[in-house]
Amino acid sequence: MKWLDRIKQHPAWIKTVLFLSIMGPGIITANVDNDAGGVTTYSLAGAHFGYSLFWSFIPITISLVIVQEMCARMAVATGKGLADLIRENFGVKPTFYLMLALLLVNLGNVMAEFAGIAASMEIFGISKYFSVPLTALFVWILIVRGTYKLVERVFLFACLFYISYLVSGVMARPDWGDVARQTIAPQIDWSLPYVVMLVGIVGTTIAPWMQFYQQSSIVEKGVAREDYRMVRLDVIIGCVIAPVVAFFITMACAATIFQAGIRVETAKDAALALAPFAGEHATWLFAIGLFVASMFAAAILPLSTSYSVCEGMGWDAGVDRRFEEAPQFFGLYTGMIVIGAGTVLIPRFPLLDVMYISQVGNGILLPVILIFMLRLINDRRIMGDFVNSRLFNIIAWLTVGVVILLTLMMVAFMLFYHG
Amino acid sequence: MNNPFFMNFSQLLDLPVIDAEGCRIGVFYDFSMSLNNDIYTRASGIIVRRGFWRRQYALLPISGVVLAGQQFRLTGQSVGPAFSSGRVECEFALRRDVLDQQVVDVENRKVVRVNDVHLLKVDHQFHIAHVDVGARALVRRLGWETAVDALVRFLFPRSDYLTLEELISWKNSQVLTLGSQKNVLKLDVARAKLAKIPPTELAEIMGDLDVFEQASLFRSLAFDVQLKVFADMTADDKVGLIEQLEDVEAVQLVSKIPSDEAADFLISLPKVRMHQLLRLMESQSSRRLRALLGFRKDSAGGLMATEYLSLRSDARVADAMAKVRGNVDYPGNLNTIYIVDQAGKYLGTTTIRRFINEPPERPVRETCHPQKVFVRTDDGMEEVALLLEQYKYYAIPVLDENDMLVGSITVDDVMEELIALAWGKYKDQL
Repeated sequence: MKWLDRIKQHPAWIKTVLFLSIMGPGIITANVDNDAGGVTTYSLAGAHFGYSLFWSFIPITISLVIVQEMCARMAVATGKGLADLIRENFGVKPTFYLMLALLLVNLGNVMAEFAGIAASMEIFGISKYFSVPLTALFVWILIVRGTYKLVERVFLFACLFYISYLVSGVMARPDWGDVARQTIAPQIDWSLPYVVMLVGIVGTTIAPWMQFYQQSSIVEKGVAREDYRMVRLDVIIGCVIAPVVAFFITMACAATIFQAGIRVETAKDAALALAPFAGEHATWLFAIGLFVASMFAAAILPLSTSYSVCEGMGWDAGVDRRFEEAPQFFGLYTGMIVIGAGTVLIPRFPLLDVMYISQVGNGILLPVILIFMLRLINDRRIMGDFVNSRLFNIIAWLTVGVVILLTLMMVAFMLFYHG
Repeated sequence: MNNPFFMNFSQLLDLPVIDAEGCRIGVFYDFSMSLNNDIYTRASGIIVRRGFWRRQYALLPISGVVLAGQQFRLTGQSVGPAFSSGRVECEFALRRDVLDQQVVDVENRKVVRVNDVHLLKVDHQFHIAHVDVGARALVRRLGWETAVDALVRFLFPRSDYLTLEELISWKNSQVLTLGSQKNVLKLDVARAKLAKIPPTELAEIMGDLDVFEQASLFRSLAFDVQLKVFADMTADDKVGLIEQLEDVEAVQLVSKIPSDEAADFLISLPKVRMHQLLRLMESQSSRRLRALLGFRKDSAGGLMATEYLSLRSDARVADAMAKVRGNVDYPGNLNTIYIVDQAGKYLGTTTIRRFINEPPERPVRETCHPQKVFVRTDDGMEEVALLLEQYKYYAIPVLDENDMLVGSITVDDVMEELIALAWGKYKDQL
């Protein structure tokens, strides 16, 4: 087997193997980002505004890469989670309130995920009283009884299901020339609903839990500083794939529902409305995508939240511990799933209001976290040579500025609209 | 006010600091701690902060300050302290290095996060008495103690919360500060604390820490403990740790661990770092390791250690006994002695059991096993395992193509590989 040994010693092969072993956190985080809230926002964006919001995916991708790259760099340079770093450098008060806010906002997000599971299964005629408890149990067992490696593999595999959105998008037969034109030379319409939708896309794509989750999972992998480039590659791949998937979701709805002038209000409506134009299969693919995305996020969000809160508060955490060793961790994790799944099953629960409030919460929390991050990443005492370069800082602060401006606009608009 | 009493560090934070005339000069920010061998470390100075947007800090010696009620007062008529905008440089500060940071709880052998520090005040001196890791300290820091206490007392009058104090004596806590500073506590105090924890558990604790904390904890161990802890650490942790250590420290460590483990470890390092360490090592051990690194990991050459006990063919039993006695500190296998000729060619194997009751004058070669059992450097692990099992040997010699003795493989070296193999298969079945 000389040739096999030759391949095994080839630098490209060694690099590939190294990358495969490091790959995961970035790609998983970015893909969970296209969760129930995301799919809803993207399909409504397409259904209400056609191709006219396509341009926004380009700056969003850049911002996402910049924010997530900083987290990855902090993980590798310090070996600590984001909540740990905030606690150690800003003290207990900011940490506590930040964690409280994160917990509440993410609880709202988890409800949205279970609502997504219920909606997608209803397309196949499966009752939510059956699908929701079963998925909740599955998700709980996967995390509590599985090893981290197993969980990560299951999630990486689940990422493949996002291809279903790409297929749905192509099946919708968009006018490719028009798609390209609108992406490169957009005609921006500065009406109020348009801006709200724009801000909504930004808000769902760059969500606060992502920074905590990605940083912790890179720390958990224990990547050496020399291999940082591999981590960055993983993060960049993830942060590019996620908006591409989002783009296709928007396109599927734009090419069909918007063209036909049908009014839809939820992701389920959108999935069902696809059928007459792109066939039953497109609806099914869309529903499967929504189901996988929601389930995926319903597992990750409670996990990431419990980790962050326990890190920040100094409680023992980890899926490989026993319940008595980490009661707060398992309590939080189980509690979030039970509450998240439970509320979806309560008849007449104001679910839409809760989801809406949690999205506003996402928007308020994000700039706060970004500012903490930028202060940490520029502290040479913490980061050593991994601090931001001047150019990177300029781009990062610009991103933060735009995100803050947009989220402030979103919050203001949402309150205004709602009131 | 000269009676000793306890107080919480968090309740001192942000108290006003006034000079002798009663003018406010700033607020209390931190204690700088003295680095002597006190078991209960003493504060050597206070750090005062002023300004809100442009924060400035100044360090004052503790002798010039008294705590009077709810404020610190300067006693001397000294000129105002020199404020500067950067952080005050001091080796060890309570807020910076202990509060909200992780420490090792030596008694319970785990890593905990400090919610508050319990100070003992004796004659205007502040000593660290305990670190508080309890939930109540957390609530106190948030400023909700009165409200939460009242609520709990109302709802659950018998709750543990009201009485349970989760304090760890300072004597039993080891600080882990950021890696940019050297270890902050005097070494003998730290060593005495950490001596309570068995090396295996220390290695596990290391797994819970980030790389800087690992280096800090590791440096505070005695060298022989370092060797044991290092051997028990996971491969990833080892690599992370070596990166944080100074070259001298790393080289010392690698040249003192058994050569087969050193080789396994070196190969897991980035290439550049591996060659760097090899260059710095003493030529002899470096040459051995270089040779080991040339073999496949699962061949006899890759498994073997190059440390072993050997004697010339003319040696007597008395020489063998002396050899064993003289190597009691030697980390490898003491049971087996190989006999070689002038040139280093392998002649036979003997064990303590075979010569311990023999007359001292008898040539040790006569006590050798009747058969010569050995493996070659390129033999596979299976062959080594089979031979060890077949002859019930604890160790087997490794020869090169010219019958020269180059190393020795012990049962545990093979076991390690076999367990990994078996565990891999077991995991695949899951």
